[in-house]
Amino acid sequence: MDQSGPYPVKLYIYDVSRGMARALSFQMIGKHLEGIWHTAIVVHGKEYFFGGAGIGSCPPAGTVLGEPDSIVDLGSTEVNEEILREYLKSLSESTFSGDKYNLLEHNCNSFSSDVAHFLTDKKIPSYITELPSDVLSTPFGQALRPFLDSMSISPGGNSVTGHR
Amino acid sequence: MAEQGAADPGNNNNNNKPEDSEGTIIKVTVKTPKDKEEIAIAEDASVTQFKEEISKRFKAKQDQLVLIFAGKILKDGDSLSQHGIKDGLTVHLVIKTAHKAADGASTSASSSTSTQAGSSSTSSPAANPTSTSAPSGSAPPSTQTPNLLTGFGDLAGLAGLGMGSANFMELQQQMQRQLMSNPEMLSQIMENPLVQNMMSNPDLMRQMIVANPQMQQLMERNPEISHMLNNPELMRQTMELARNPAMMQEMMRNQDRALSNLESIPGGYNALRRMYTDIQEPMFSAAREQFGSNPFSALGGNSESGAQPSRTENREPLPNPWGPPNSSTSSESGTGTTGSTSTTGSTNPSVSNPLGINPGSLGNGMFNSPGMQSLLQQISENPQLMQNMLSAPYMRSMMQSLAQNPELASQVMMNNPLFAGNPQLQEQFRAQLPVFLQQMQNPEALSVMTNPRAMQALMQIQQGLQTLQTEAPGLMPSLVPGGAPAVPTGGGVPPENPASSPSSTGTNAAQQQLMQQMLQMFAGGGGGGSATTQTPEMRFQTQLDQLSAMGFINREANLQALIATGGDINAAIERLLGSQPS
Repeated sequence: MDQSGPYPVKLYIYDVSRGMARALSFQMIGKHLEGIWHTAIVVHGKEYFFGGAGIGSCPPAGTVLGEPDSIVDLGSTEVNEEILREYLKSLSESTFSGDKYNLLEHNCNSFSSDVAHFLTDKKIPSYITELPSDVLSTPFGQALRPFLDSMSISPGGNSVTGHR
Repeated sequence: MAEQGAADPGNNNNNNKPEDSEGTIIKVTVKTPKDKEEIAIAEDASVTQFKEEISKRFKAKQDQLVLIFAGKILKDGDSLSQHGIKDGLTVHLVIKTAHKAADGASTSASSSTSTQAGSSSTSSPAANPTSTSAPSGSAPPSTQTPNLLTGFGDLAGLAGLGMGSANFMELQQQMQRQLMSNPEMLSQIMENPLVQNMMSNPDLMRQMIVANPQMQQLMERNPEISHMLNNPELMRQTMELARNPAMMQEMMRNQDRALSNLESIPGGYNALRRMYTDIQEPMFSAAREQFGSNPFSALGGNSESGAQPSRTENREPLPNPWGPPNSSTSSESGTGTTGSTSTTGSTNPSVSNPLGINPGSLGNGMFNSPGMQSLLQQISENPQLMQNMLSAPYMRSMMQSLAQNPELASQVMMNNPLFAGNPQLQEQFRAQLPVFLQQMQNPEALSVMTNPRAMQALMQIQQGLQTLQTEAPGLMPSLVPGGAPAVPTGGGVPPENPASSPSSTGTNAAQQQLMQQMLQMFAGGGGGGSATTQTPEMRFQTQLDQLSAMGFINREANLQALIATGGDINAAIERLLGSQPS
C-alpha cells in the first residue's frame, strides 16, 4: 500500500449526441438539453466508466467517443490504484454489475458520481445527474421511457473486473 | 466505547450525551461498494478503533480494511477528528480481498455477477449473461440492446433516438447542417437497426409525437393533423422519409414539382390553394415560434395539400392556357380575351397571377378574364378536381376560418403578389371578401362548383360577356360595378345562376340590365364594387404603362388596342404593330 502522493482525479464528460441534443432537443422533447452526457472518471492514468457491459476501463479518452466534451477537475485522492481496483471490483459485483445498468436511473453517471465521491468526496456537476429526470419530466421522455429502459450505452473498453 | 458503539448504535446518537467517558459519539456512515452501515464511534477515536468497529460489523479483518475519506486514506495512526470526520458523514470502505488475486473474503465473488465483456479474458461469461449484451454479442435479453452496443452505433443509437423522432421537414435543414459537420453520424444513425425499428413502428412514433404537448395543442387546432397522424399509411411514409434523407429530398423535389404543376392551372384552383398556403404559413410560423418547429404539421399540411393536388395534378396534367398566349388561349375564349397575361407579363399564370386575373381587365368584369374562363373550363372538364379540392378536410376548415376572420383573409389576399401591385383591386377584393367567403361556405355554391354543367353554363356566360366586351365596349363600363365583385365569387355562384340569359343579346339596355343583374347575383348580391365606373383608361392603367414602357408611346392607340383586346397586352401589341409598321 504505497502512497505515492495524491493522484489527480478528473471527470471526463462526453456528449453522446455529438451536439445533436443541443440542436434538436428542444424540438424533440420540448426541453433544451445541452447534451446527452456520458461521464467517466480518469485517475491513475486510466479512464473508468460504467456501461451496459459493466465497469470498463480504457486509456483516457480512449473510447469511441474520443475526446471528452469537457473535463472537470475533481481534485486529488490518495487512493492508489490497487485500492481503487478493489473498490471497483466490489462495485462491479454489486451495485454496478452490468445487468444493473439502467439508462435512466443507474447509468454511467451514477457510477461516476459514486466513484468521484469515493475518491475525493466530491460530487459531479448536477446537470449531469439531473439529465434523466430532465428528460423524464417531458412527456416525450415519459413516452420513451420503456424504450430507454431497454437501452444502454457502452463505449467499449476493457472490463475492470477480472482484468489484471 | 467499544461496547457502546457495538451494542446499539441506535442509542447514543446525539452528540451531547456524555454516556461514554471519552467524548461525544458520532455516527459515521461507512460505505462499502456493497452496502453501508452506520457506525457510532467516539468523536476523538482513532482510526484503529474505528476499524475495530468496522471489522466487527463487516466481519472482515482489520488489516483488510481500507478507509477512505475525502480522498484520503485513513491510516491507523490517525484520528477521526484529524480527518474531519464528523457526525453524519460518510466514509468509504474498501475491504481488500487480498494483496494479489481475488480471494478469501466475501467480497471476491468468483461467480461475479458482473457481466463481462465477452472480450475480457477472465471470468466466465458470468453467471448472468443477462447482462445487457456484451459487445461480442452475448445474447441480449431484451429488445435491441445488442444493436446499440455495437461500437459507435450504440451511442449513436441514443442520439439516433432523437433523430428518429418527429422532425421532418423543418428539421431537415438542421439535419443537413449537422450532416455537414458530421456526415458519418447520420448515416450511422440511420443504419442503426434500432432506429430503423423504431421508426418503422408507427404506433411508437405516433405516440411520441402525440405526447408532445405542443403537438397536442396543434392537433386540437387542426384536426387534420391528428387525422394525418392516425393515418398509418401516411405515418409510415413519413417515417420512411425520415429514415432516408435521400428519399426526403426526393419528396421535397416532388412536392416542388407538383407545386409548379399547380401553377399551370389557371385561376381559381390555384388561387384557393394559394390562399390556403398563405394561411397555412402564418399558422405554421406561429406554431413554429411556439415550439421551435412543427414538423408534422408542416409535413402534414404540405403533404396533404401538396399530395392531394399534386396527385390530381400529376395524374392529369392540365394544359397551360397561358402558355403561348396567342394560340391556346384563343381556343377557349372568344376573340381578344386571350390569356391576358397579367400585368407581370408572364405567360405563365404562375402564382403571381393565381386568379388568372388581369387587373386591367377587372373593370371589364373579372369574371371574364381568361383565367377564370379556363378555370371554369378546367373545372368542368374535371369535376373531380374541384371535388377533391373542396372535399379536402382542411379546405373546409380553411374556408371557415377565412370566413370567420375576414381580416385574415384580406391579409392573405393582400399578400398575394397578384394584388400587391394594384391597390384598386385590393380594395375591390376586400370589399367583396366577406361575400366571397360566404359564398365559399355556401354548400350550394360549392355544389355548383362541382357540377360540371353548371360550370359550363358559367363559362358560357363568360364567353358571352367577352363577346360583348369586344363588340360593345361601351357596354362594359356599366358592367364594372357588377363585374368586379363577380370575380372573387367566380366559383361561388349561387344556384340561381341565370344560365338562361348569358349569351342572349337582347336590346342593349335590357342586356345591360340583365348583365348587371347577373353579375350582381354572382356576387351574391354583393352590391356594386368599389370601382364604380372606371374609364377604360383607368382600367387598363397597368397595361398602358407597360405598353409605354415597351415603347408604344401613342397612348390613345394603346388604349384603343387594349380596349379592343380586352386588356390583353400581347394582343394589343399585335394590334398596334399591325397598325404601325414599325
